[in-house]
Amino acid sequence: MASPIADLTYRNYDGPLEPPLYRWWAIAKASMRLSIKKKGIYPLAFLSACWYLLLLIVFYFIDMAAQGVPLGQKNPILQQIIWKDQFLNAFGVSQLALFIIALLIGVGAIANDNRANALLVYLSKPVTRLDYLIGKWLGIFVPITLIVGVPMLVFFGYCTMSYQDYGFLTEDPRLFFKLLLLMLVPGFFHASVALGISSMFNQGRLAGAAYAGLYFMTYFFSGAMKIVHIASSEDGGTTPPIVKTLFYCSIDGLQIALGKLILGTDGSDPFSFAQAGPGRRGPNISVIPAPNPTLFIGAFFAICILSMFIAWTRIRAVEVVA
Amino acid sequence: MSVAQIQNLTVRYGSFTALNGFSCDIPEGCTGLLGPNGAGKTTLLKTLLGFVQPAGGSANVLGLDIRSKGKEIRQRIGLMPEQDCHIPGMSAVQFVSYAGELAGMPGDQALRRSHEVLEYCGLGEARYRNVETYSTGMKQRIKLAQALVHGPKLLLLDEPTNGLDPAGREDMLELVRSVSHGKGVNVLVSSHLLPDIERVCDRIIVVMKGELRAEGTIRDLKKLEGHPVDVELRDPSPAFAEALIAKGASVEPARATLYRVQAAGTPDAVAAMVLQTAKETGTQVRGFTLAQRSLEEAFLEVLRA
Repeated sequence: MASPIADLTYRNYDGPLEPPLYRWWAIAKASMRLSIKKKGIYPLAFLSACWYLLLLIVFYFIDMAAQGVPLGQKNPILQQIIWKDQFLNAFGVSQLALFIIALLIGVGAIANDNRANALLVYLSKPVTRLDYLIGKWLGIFVPITLIVGVPMLVFFGYCTMSYQDYGFLTEDPRLFFKLLLLMLVPGFFHASVALGISSMFNQGRLAGAAYAGLYFMTYFFSGAMKIVHIASSEDGGTTPPIVKTLFYCSIDGLQIALGKLILGTDGSDPFSFAQAGPGRRGPNISVIPAPNPTLFIGAFFAICILSMFIAWTRIRAVEVVA
Repeated sequence: MSVAQIQNLTVRYGSFTALNGFSCDIPEGCTGLLGPNGAGKTTLLKTLLGFVQPAGGSANVLGLDIRSKGKEIRQRIGLMPEQDCHIPGMSAVQFVSYAGELAGMPGDQALRRSHEVLEYCGLGEARYRNVETYSTGMKQRIKLAQALVHGPKLLLLDEPTNGLDPAGREDMLELVRSVSHGKGVNVLVSSHLLPDIERVCDRIIVVMKGELRAEGTIRDLKKLEGHPVDVELRDPSPAFAEALIAKGASVEPARATLYRVQAAGTPDAVAAMVLQTAKETGTQVRGFTLAQRSLEEAFLEVLRA
């Protein structure tokens, strides 16, 4: 029952109505609001940034351990560091946490709307299918990009202030811009693929299970390729190129491949700088070189565009039965 | 003045024709869209909203063409769909406010207005509850609230009493009647429940197999041919009936003391004949009204025609 002091008469709304443009922004804002209400993303966001924290701690102790270095000389361990590899390693380590965040905030985006018939609400307002799709996409892309980008840029800022003497900015003067590009990759990929998968289901949980299945299947496949590579390398032989290519054929692998291509490095094993030889890299047995750029950049965009196309075709206010 | 004008509208789903050359004008006020299941009522609403592209014909809503001005039309009208629908994870006030923002209202106005319409729809006390926890009746009300939030000029209601218990149905019909009379909101109610339509609408449009079967005011549709009158007597009187038949009228006993009399001439002439006959046969007349059929009878006759 309504409260007795309420004015229950119907009054017409005669306030302003904005032109029916840019409705995607209203949808994006609402999606982001719903995302940040999910408490699970905060520990996962912390986990995804943990590698940077670990690096800071390690660098601190390396600094401390080098107290005995004569005045005027540089710390020999810090001198061995390839800075952009540290960003690449942190990017690789954060993949699982980012995937789970995508599961939490992205995979249910359209599936749950299908379950609740929410498309009838959206499309009965001056909202187009494109507005809806862009809004939902941004609702996933923006939080993931922030989760990737904030610790990355904080670490960049810290290193800029602390390690310029160790070639932090001179090693790759365009590193900052490369990092800006790199931080867009997970958001772009997860937002597109999650929406494509989500649009095929009527329940968020089923869509989540499908995405998780795809992730872990390709993850284990990629892992198997890495084992083959390490086994070949330890025997002193060479890994067949197809194995190196297949290593990147997973959700993580594709993004790591793009990371290597953007940063312009093959990467190095974590903390290999601590045992680096004269070539400035450690043994790096498990490192697989950056893949063919055309193939993997093409595959990245093809998967994203295909996923968005699937979502586009499945967004309908009416089930048309021919 | 019409709120929608439809001319030769044809809508096909593959090889199935859902609307076949449908033409009509929907006037201001509250209009009922009647028809059996599968007649094309919902398809008509969805076509007016731009959800379905017509295969032929034309239509405009509030003076805007449905083919080219879909967004502008949807900004001016509100839809209460037949199915349950809501935005997952939102409370009622968030949901209705969000619906307002989608329609183009600034955020602060949408929030203020959502409180207003939720109060109006009787959900004031439950406005902070998640919509997913609502009962069927409350879900019907919130669908009405989200359709009303931006102050539409035309409200499309698709089976508004679907799944409601008698008390809920009564409340919903009262809300619809209230919003459609004297509030500047035109309403098009699609239903196959004749009592609901009769309760809230002034006019009806009858659709069957995708074609227009009848349109007009409910009073006109209920009228019977030839001005029959219902005469109520104090006691049953076969003599009165025989006397009228002898004068050339047809008399049909409707209930124990009620006779439906049909005779040539105007209702006044028939009335004079009835009263004269009553006087002659010593019968006491207790009531005299122009006979009407029920809306159900009129509807069935239209469908059979």
